[in-house]
Amino acid sequence: MSSISNSTGAFFERSLGQMTGLRKSVEKLQTQIATGERIARGSDDPIGASRLRALARIEAQGRTEAENAQALGQDLAAASKQIEGVVGLLQRVRELAVAAGSDTIGQDGREAIAVEMEQLGEELFARANSQSLTGSSLFSGTLSGAAYSRDALGNVTYQGNGQSGAVPVAPATEIERGLPGPQVFEFDLSGSPSSAFAVISGLAAALRGGVPDPAAAARDAIGGIDMALDTVNRSQTVIGTRLAWVESIQVDQQDRAVNGARQRSDIADTDIADTVVRLQQAMTALEATQASFARVSSLSLFNAI
Amino acid sequence: MMPTNLITIGASGARAARASIELTAQNIANAANPDYARRRLNTGELVGSAVIDFQHSSAFSGTRIGGVQRADSELFQLRVRDSGSDVARATGELTGLKAAETAIEQSQVYEKLVAFEASLTRLESDPTDRALRTATLESARQLAQTFRFADTTLEDTRASLAGELGARVTDVNVAAQELAKINGELVSAREGSGGRAALLDARDAALRDLSDEIGINVQLDEFGTARVTLDGTPALTLVDGTLASTFSAQVNPDNSVTLAVDGVTGTANTGAMAGRISALGRISALQDELDDIATSAITRANTAQAAGAALDGSAGQPLFSGSDAGSIALTMSDGAGLALAPAGSPAGSRDTGNLGNLIAALGADDGPIAATDRALVSLSSRIAGLDTTREGLVIINESAQADLLAATSVDLDSEAANLVRLQKAFEANSRVIQVANDIFDTILGLR
Repeated sequence: MSSISNSTGAFFERSLGQMTGLRKSVEKLQTQIATGERIARGSDDPIGASRLRALARIEAQGRTEAENAQALGQDLAAASKQIEGVVGLLQRVRELAVAAGSDTIGQDGREAIAVEMEQLGEELFARANSQSLTGSSLFSGTLSGAAYSRDALGNVTYQGNGQSGAVPVAPATEIERGLPGPQVFEFDLSGSPSSAFAVISGLAAALRGGVPDPAAAARDAIGGIDMALDTVNRSQTVIGTRLAWVESIQVDQQDRAVNGARQRSDIADTDIADTVVRLQQAMTALEATQASFARVSSLSLFNAI
Repeated sequence: MMPTNLITIGASGARAARASIELTAQNIANAANPDYARRRLNTGELVGSAVIDFQHSSAFSGTRIGGVQRADSELFQLRVRDSGSDVARATGELTGLKAAETAIEQSQVYEKLVAFEASLTRLESDPTDRALRTATLESARQLAQTFRFADTTLEDTRASLAGELGARVTDVNVAAQELAKINGELVSAREGSGGRAALLDARDAALRDLSDEIGINVQLDEFGTARVTLDGTPALTLVDGTLASTFSAQVNPDNSVTLAVDGVTGTANTGAMAGRISALGRISALQDELDDIATSAITRANTAQAAGAALDGSAGQPLFSGSDAGSIALTMSDGAGLALAPAGSPAGSRDTGNLGNLIAALGADDGPIAATDRALVSLSSRIAGLDTTREGLVIINESAQADLLAATSVDLDSEAANLVRLQKAFEANSRVIQVANDIFDTILGLR
């Protein structure tokens, strides 16, 4: 009797090992199809899992930046709307100044113009102090509270600061939130600092008879009004450019989100077609092994005795 | 030559055939017993010889039943034990590390850190918004809870691993004592007896069980008794003859493990015990890493807070209390306390200079987020590597087991053939007796 034989135990052990291995791979493939995820835990693919984490972080960042961009867009749009109002308002002031500059208009007419101009001054003050949707002043820089205050004499003073603050909307891209009031409403008039408020209130006071020749004062004021219009127009261009920038960034953000989702899918998702074929292959092998096991194991000499 | 001799020869042959059939039946009955090595009956020719009156005379006396011979293969047993130890080591370490990986991944430390970072970034759009500030504070609270949760689950994993280590020490000692007892019985067992074959089966099974738990080297003497030394430095003797030493494993405060046999310390190279010791060290290192990450998050957040001004313009107060993953807690109660503006800013400032610093500090390459990712990658890579190693070791172990089974286990087909052969032999021997009887009758009938 030789010492080596094809022992029955070895045959069963071997068959069991083969079928267990096949069933394990079938189960793994089935789980991948059922969950749609190729990586169930980090150790399935350590580098892939790390890239997934990095992608998840980028996506979280991207979602936040998209919200920031939306909020920034709203703030900038609100500021733009207010500035648009100011432009219309200043144009009306200019028309009134031209009318008041005519010598043919009487004192009554100038009084009426002064009343309207004072109202326009009020509107300008209100617009300068306007707030964003979330309740912060649009033109006060990074400080909270009203941008401009007015004392008993009607002098308007800026209360904010010169910074506008920036919002990150994309990796390494920050867009400034708005414009501080002085950049919108204040300017240099023949060497001395002036503001739209001062020009309007000065002209209204002159028309009410504050100066000997109101018509001349009205004509002189037109230079100041033009200056105020120039300043406001400039700031509207700045705001408009930023708004366009935010919009183009939002498009970029959408592209990046789609791109991120595609990368995530490439790394983590099950390739269904591939996996189904592999599953079928493993199933066929398993069934064949089971069938042949049943056939071979029934081959026993004991059936012949 | 007497016909009576013929009857004796036939009877001895029939007896031997019947004994062999019995052993074949025993083999068939134990075909499914993994510890059983197949037996065979040795038979020898029996010739009676005598010297009478200077005349040599010999008489054929049939066959003699020898001892029970047990199929054995020292080499395959050794391969099964050694590869089994390697597989057990990899499996032990893998089981511990996978539990740790689950603890860290399920607690979602990384996800909560990223969520905190994102909520801080959201504040950039409107730093004075109370709702956003409160949301950020809640995110910080979740982060602190997550760290504590991860710390607890990791500690649970470590503790259960240490507990299992202690429980398995008993298994090793029981197996060693069992082996010592078998050694004692082997010395007194008669060579060629069925009892001795059963004892050898039990010895090999006990050695395999022991080698799964801890790597061993085995020396067998002429009685078949096993002398077992641990596979480590120094080679400590666990079982020598009928003497079983006491094995002990002590988990130290730093999570290293001191192995000793009868008080003499040593090491274990393979076996589940070595795997658990290795996993215990790795989990302990992971706990330190988690603590470092939590400390880094606490320090960076609090340092940034100290450099800024809260919503009311006051100096920033610490955000987190505690010093590691187990003790981190949110100490701020109002979102207004988040110091987003640089120090010295007036109340209600929308300046986000300090917020930018905080976000940068958290997201830096040496910050907590990157450190968490590094810790996870290193752990997962170790597990993936171990998994691959283990698969290879399992294949080696399976082939060794298949070889051992092929060499020593029962082959039903050859047993069936033996059954038929021995039955024929029995019948033939009966015929011999009948022939002797006929011869007798013939002789007695002569007249």
